[in-house]
Amino acid sequence: MILKMKKEDLSAFLETVKEWGELWGPTRKGERVAFERVEALSQMDLKAARTIIPPKKLLYPPRFTMFDFDDEGYVERTGDVPNRILFGIHPCDIHGIQIMDTMFLEEYKDPYYAERREKTLLLGHSCIPDEKCMCFATDTEFIAEGFDLFFTDLKMFYLVWVGSSRGHDLVRMKPELFSRDIGKDDILNYTEYRKWKTSQFSANADFTGMPDIFELGYDSSILDELAEKCLSCGQCTMVCPTCNCFNVVDEVELGSVEGTRDRFWDSCMFREYSLVAGGHNFRDKRVDRLKLWYTHKLQAYIGEFGEPACVGCGRCVATCPVDINVVTVANALREQEVGK
Amino acid sequence: MRKLCVVLEDREVQDNPYKPEMWRIVRRYPLTNDVNFFQARSVDVDQALRMNYLPGQFVMASVLGEGEAPFSISSTPSRPGLLEFCIQRVGTLTETLFSLKENQTVGLRGPYGNGFPIDKMEGKDILIVAGGLGAAPLRSLLLYVLDNRDRFGDIAYLHGARTPGEMLFREEFLQLKERDDLNCLLTVDKDDTGQWPERVGMVTDLFKELGGIDAKNTYAAVCGPPVMYKFVMQRLVKLDIPKHQILMTLERRMKCGVGKCGHCAIEYLYTCIDGPVFTYWDVLHMKELIGKGVSSDVIA
Amino acid sequence: MSSPKIGVYGFTGCAGDQLMILNCENQLVDLFGATEIRSFSMAKSDNHEGELDVAFVEGSISTEEQLEHLKDIRKRAKMLIAIGTCACWGGPQAMKLEEGGFEKRYKGVYGNAKITVSKAFEAQPVDAFVRVELKIPGCPIDKSEFLGAVSKLVAKRHPYLYRFPVCAECKWKENPCILWEGKFCAGPLTKAGCGAVCPSHNMPCVGCWGPTDDLNVGAEYNLLKEKGYGPDEIVQKMKKFGGAGVAKLVKEIKPTAKEKEANK
Repeated sequence: MILKMKKEDLSAFLETVKEWGELWGPTRKGERVAFERVEALSQMDLKAARTIIPPKKLLYPPRFTMFDFDDEGYVERTGDVPNRILFGIHPCDIHGIQIMDTMFLEEYKDPYYAERREKTLLLGHSCIPDEKCMCFATDTEFIAEGFDLFFTDLKMFYLVWVGSSRGHDLVRMKPELFSRDIGKDDILNYTEYRKWKTSQFSANADFTGMPDIFELGYDSSILDELAEKCLSCGQCTMVCPTCNCFNVVDEVELGSVEGTRDRFWDSCMFREYSLVAGGHNFRDKRVDRLKLWYTHKLQAYIGEFGEPACVGCGRCVATCPVDINVVTVANALREQEVGK
Repeated sequence: MRKLCVVLEDREVQDNPYKPEMWRIVRRYPLTNDVNFFQARSVDVDQALRMNYLPGQFVMASVLGEGEAPFSISSTPSRPGLLEFCIQRVGTLTETLFSLKENQTVGLRGPYGNGFPIDKMEGKDILIVAGGLGAAPLRSLLLYVLDNRDRFGDIAYLHGARTPGEMLFREEFLQLKERDDLNCLLTVDKDDTGQWPERVGMVTDLFKELGGIDAKNTYAAVCGPPVMYKFVMQRLVKLDIPKHQILMTLERRMKCGVGKCGHCAIEYLYTCIDGPVFTYWDVLHMKELIGKGVSSDVIA
Repeated sequence: MSSPKIGVYGFTGCAGDQLMILNCENQLVDLFGATEIRSFSMAKSDNHEGELDVAFVEGSISTEEQLEHLKDIRKRAKMLIAIGTCACWGGPQAMKLEEGGFEKRYKGVYGNAKITVSKAFEAQPVDAFVRVELKIPGCPIDKSEFLGAVSKLVAKRHPYLYRFPVCAECKWKENPCILWEGKFCAGPLTKAGCGAVCPSHNMPCVGCWGPTDDLNVGAEYNLLKEKGYGPDEIVQKMKKFGGAGVAKLVKEIKPTAKEKEANK
């Protein structure tokens, strides 16, 4: 279902849906763009290309408690998550959440992710690509499903895709703001918009044939050269919308047998990641860690699900201080040469 | 997408797959210098009887306040009610585990992993090759095939340890030598006791005692240190056992056991759900392992 | 649960880590209740020097007298924990490690003055002299990291401290990368545990938690040079808190492929 809304009505709409839960959206403070809790549309920056951390932080926080325990055993800690409406999420990030859903909700459903996912409504918004966006190369520049509502900005109007019955419930909270009156001009406008968006990309990204190129280039010295530059800081994994790895530790209360089992984001770039008891490390070398990450994103996942585990959001490009990212790695492997 | 040769069993889905249940340690004694035998029974008796698993599967074991790690099951599902483990003291978790006494509790969840493909192995000859701590998961398989003796063909069990004192379940295996429906061959690298009644030499030396084998009709299961894999695989391939009938179990760091935490990934496979039992054919595709326990010369 | 006997000692340093223990406010009563504090000169006068379950040692070791005292503590303690970056890595006073010239520097400062205290030597971390079971770095240590570790010890469990770089915590706080912006940040070389407090206030990490166990010093050096920093400045800043953890690595920095090309 596609509806139409006047742009000036968005503010009133968001004001209304806040009754359902906390409103979250992209905010800007200097260089820092982040999804934060807001009170009104005016606090959001809908023109920003990307937040530093993808919306996964709301579905799967950097650190949280899984269980409380005492000497009787473990008690699950769930039920303390508020309803949230996440507005202004871009197609790439919705694709990212779909990949996370596959990971966390299908086999052995993760109750912590499931609860947050259930209580978070995704209200997508069309975006303005910048030079780091490469969703065109991962086929994630548009989105047809996975959101509750999706707002495409056509200058005068929004076209609003209703993607779920819960999204429709939000529309029904203020139905007078929406119209079904879509005419020829709207269709032409939308076609123009798609053309415009497709013409905006300038990143030199091409992932075609990556599984085979990776297979062929797995032992090439190109990857060693990149590993020599890698700081193993793990930023690439923290900002990646499809990185889900975590570590688990127990904490105890001082002087007591009670405590918590906590879970926090881990990174395959860290030496500790593949370390087993007794001191053996399956990926002690930096290059082996890089290979794991990049084969996972650009080879293994394609083999498993037919699409890369990269959604082209450009966050690794915007974060890695030494310029190791999906674009530079894919190009280096393809051309067998590390760029500048 | 490459298909695994191993058939994945249907798994029971729990509400919270990360939630450990409490089990009581009912028996614990040393097997070797640094390896202890643990026997555990669920605090909830119904749960103890419900616990069904396959040889080759593992559990995640928690010590309150210390953390959680994977351990392969050494007991056999054909003897239900109790779970058995042989655990080496190697890190912080096992150190704390070794400080626990009988009647104290640990958290367990599982079973996880694919386990050995028992359905496919039925009716076939079974060749088990264990080195060192590799006997931990393979004892489960050995006891299982012996408990269901009429469902398998010839069974051979080859086990190598550094010294007699380091051979896990030494007395149990020595007794198994008396069975005439099992070819049990035990060897040590070095006999430092002077009283070892069995072979001295490498586990690969035992192959010449196997006699003729019906290679196409044989499933081999191997677990041991990386260096052993290399030589044992060469022998098995030379014997002409098909690569998809050679099974090996891999060890990796794991934080969840259910395919979420990422640590045990090897390319597109998770050791915890796609393994820990892999066929040699699967492993030959793991480029990451070539040169690290898997020899590339076998490929050629 | 029997409460462990504890001693807290300070050597060359600012005593900020001991102060931080006393600054644990709400948990201080719990700490004194859960443990038996046998010796803690900064906190009390009635101290008993005997067998200890855990000795916490702050500060680097820089005189013969300190060394003797440290050895005595080690002998009496089942477990010795270095607290603070000076004890763990040497601290700023160890920034010249591996460079030699201590005698000259000493003379430069003290001249021919008659020194009445014990003979001094180049400041070094505690584990340069005795076995250390655990390092809890920080300048000063972080309350929750310290209390978390102590709680585990009291419960007869093993403390877990983050081993990865502070960049992870920095990203959890969703800060833009300061290095990416071209400013000097020691984040990738620095152990997490502080909660990325400086970058969260838009200040670069100076490395006060000391190094992680997985440093790519060469990569950081080359990156900063590309960003326009001079070699001496880079090395000096790396060694400021890195001490024994980076001293040897800094010496081994290799020129980049580009530089090799240029030198030909």
